[in-house]
Amino acid sequence: MSTPLLAPVMVRVCPVDELPPGRRLLIEADRLQIVITNVDGRLYAFRNVCPHQGAPLMCGPITGTMVASVPHQYEYGCDNEIVRCPLHGWEFHMATGKSVAQRDTVSIKTYPVETNEEHILIQLPRQPESFAVHTAR
Amino acid sequence: MAIVDPQVPVDRETVTDIIDCDVHPYLNSLEELTPYMDESIQRLMNIGRFEKKMLKNMNAGAFDFPKSRYNNPNYVLRLDAVTPDGGVPGSDPEFLTQDLFDRFHTKYGILNVGHGSMSAYHNVDMAISYSSACNDWLYDTWVESDPRYKMTMVVPTLDPTATVREIERVGQKSGIVGINLQNVNIPLGNRFFWPVYQIAEEYGLPIVLHPDAEGSGEYAPTQSVGPASTYTEWHTTLSLVAQRQIMSLVCEGVLEKFPKLKFVFVEYGFAWLPSVMWRLDKNWKGLRDEIPWVKMLPSDYIRRNIRLGTQPMEESFHPKDIVSLVQMAKAEDMLVFASDYPHWDGEYSPKVFAAFPDDMKRKIFYDNASQAYRL
Repeated sequence: MSTPLLAPVMVRVCPVDELPPGRRLLIEADRLQIVITNVDGRLYAFRNVCPHQGAPLMCGPITGTMVASVPHQYEYGCDNEIVRCPLHGWEFHMATGKSVAQRDTVSIKTYPVETNEEHILIQLPRQPESFAVHTAR
Repeated sequence: MAIVDPQVPVDRETVTDIIDCDVHPYLNSLEELTPYMDESIQRLMNIGRFEKKMLKNMNAGAFDFPKSRYNNPNYVLRLDAVTPDGGVPGSDPEFLTQDLFDRFHTKYGILNVGHGSMSAYHNVDMAISYSSACNDWLYDTWVESDPRYKMTMVVPTLDPTATVREIERVGQKSGIVGINLQNVNIPLGNRFFWPVYQIAEEYGLPIVLHPDAEGSGEYAPTQSVGPASTYTEWHTTLSLVAQRQIMSLVCEGVLEKFPKLKFVFVEYGFAWLPSVMWRLDKNWKGLRDEIPWVKMLPSDYIRRNIRLGTQPMEESFHPKDIVSLVQMAKAEDMLVFASDYPHWDGEYSPKVFAAFPDDMKRKIFYDNASQAYRL
């Protein structure tokens, strides 16, 4: 029995050792581009498109941010939990996809990602007809 | 003899009352302040019994009140407002109620001194003494004369401690409805001013900004890139000062720290508002971690805390365009009516708002000011 076309599926991305900490890969599933990254052993996957103007988040720095504070007190936090757009600097929490500035109205799509003993797997909304993994944009 | 035009219509169909946020009382002479001024300061300023007439017009000859250095080539005060006695327009409290309030159906007229503050003047001791005298004179001579008169108090802007002291001295009086802080060359967001904001918020008094110090003192703010050459150029650049100040207030976190405090910019126009909002919002979305205390869209802070006097209203090519612009900025709750009587660039009649819808007019003429000022 074949998998229904619109059901979520787990897709094998690559062997675990091909995405070590500090590296990222670009997945192309049909016309969808997804960034998958390993930050200190934590895996994140999110759409490669900034919702502002469409710049590729694949090129954006992974960083922390100054969390909301009282005037003129700086408090650094969320270290390595944020991806910034490489163009205008919009910030997104990689775990939830939510914008730091506009958390209730702006977000990027994220995808569940996990490992089995040998491979990294990503959950996609449906079975892709084509699937490729690139090391650069 | 002043000419009173009985034909000036009041839009009584839609408006019952007006709060006029910019009415200018004038001293006939600085000498009127001497009863309110310490003798030592009178000596320093060479007024009262110390008046020094000889060589007065020589360079550094005698104290000169810091008037604007930009001179209107025509008349800065409207000639149809000369008092029945032939006095300076805006110098007769009783005549003003007839010439302006009765015609506009003004419930409250908020007085901002027309003869000037000394906020940007180099001698702060003089400014402190002048401010107190000015406030007492204005209260006694004008506010006490008619219940429609309310006033903003002037303060020695360059000394926040003395400013707080002056607010403590008179800021509880019921006729005082705002603090005429003035723009100097320290941006309004700077923490230099925070003690003033703290007491202003506590007293429920808005901070009011009105042109004066921009051209009349050594600590005047710059006109963006350098001094203007003419009155025309200077007058037009005033709107830049307000824009710059709003950016400072947002970025420095003042509007976050003092959420109930209103800043009323009177006489700086408002057609530039969408640009300020949109530029700040756009930059904040990418740069917010530099100013992490700015927790919501800058335009939301601006809409909550900033109010803008309508005069001198920018006159769009098509009358309805200015209405669309207000709607674009969602600024219906931000605008407060100001006649600027008796200045040359004031509004002759509320009819200048003919293109505005009734609900917007109600807000502009009354509701917004009634909430912004301590009325």
